[in-house]
Amino acid sequence: MLNFLKRIFSKENMSSRKQANDRLRLVLTHDRLGASTQLMDTLKEEIIQVIAKHVEIEGTPEVTFINEGRRSALDINIPLKGR
Amino acid sequence: MVSKTEEGIVIVVTSGKGGVGKTTTVANVGASLAKLDYKVVVLDLDIGLKKLDLILGLENRIIYDLVQVIEGECTLRQALVKDKRFPELYMLPAAQTRNKNEVTPDQIKHLCNQLKPQFDFIFVDCPAGIEHGFKNAIAAADKAIVITNPEVSAVRDADRIIGILESAEFTDTKLVINRLQSELVNRGDMLSIEDLLDHLCIELLGVVPEDRNVLISTNKGEPIILNEHSNAGKAFRNIAQRLTGQKVDFLKFDDQSFWSKLKNLGRNLFNNN
Repeated sequence: MLNFLKRIFSKENMSSRKQANDRLRLVLTHDRLGASTQLMDTLKEEIIQVIAKHVEIEGTPEVTFINEGRRSALDINIPLKGR
Repeated sequence: MVSKTEEGIVIVVTSGKGGVGKTTTVANVGASLAKLDYKVVVLDLDIGLKKLDLILGLENRIIYDLVQVIEGECTLRQALVKDKRFPELYMLPAAQTRNKNEVTPDQIKHLCNQLKPQFDFIFVDCPAGIEHGFKNAIAAADKAIVITNPEVSAVRDADRIIGILESAEFTDTKLVINRLQSELVNRGDMLSIEDLLDHLCIELLGVVPEDRNVLISTNKGEPIILNEHSNAGKAFRNIAQRLTGQKVDFLKFDDQSFWSKLKNLGRNLFNNN
């Protein structure tokens, strides 16, 4: 019974409104920076590569875009291996 | 008549994307302010693709146009078309057979400077796009209103416009959301007011609901604000009042049916775990 109710009501996650919001979030970030999705991916990859060239990375490095108001920032989280 | 102590303010109405309701907004907000006894002039800067005259129902009254004023073929006073339904509403029509590139931003500035001492509000109806016509339209503006629809491509263009206005040092840009369908929002099939504010990050000036009366009034050449029963008309009148500095509550769009309310309740219960 609970599963049945969940199925009816959880359609929200697939709603076209949510899809519109997700797509807009991505496209507006890129538009504001004047850069393509590909360029952003390359940028992330290279940042990690540069760090890895000099110090040893431990765990999963993360480079993500964060938006605050109309401004974007790079959130770089790269765990380093201690000696 | 409100006494005219200071210079009028030039407000550009823009959107990037075409067809979102710039001209309808200019016509109706301008007419509302005129109804409130302000001296208002609306300028059509969509040279080559004029519409404002048709939306206001003044297409048969035009003698001269904006380009003729700029080129000195007639005086500004001769070209202004008075809307007789309102105490002080004037329109300066665009030229239909000319090209946007024949006018420069400096010429528009000069024109607006001539209008400022005579009017309280000078509205500039901006053409779609971000090219020459857009640059002309924002050249003389003190403030900007960005119109968008709750639809991805309109929002993307609005964001671009807001960015350009920011670079041009506009500090008081406000948003009008046009053609909102609350039943679609509630069903999860349309971007909500909150979604749009979240993406665009600017202050909200007004929300105009989808209303078939707008098409009907456009057919007749009558501003929708004259229709007391229209929700869109009410929304435009509220926008005008907010521009005069009054605090007016936003219209409530809670027309959810019993079933959609139950559905939303259920969604909240089951999606939070």
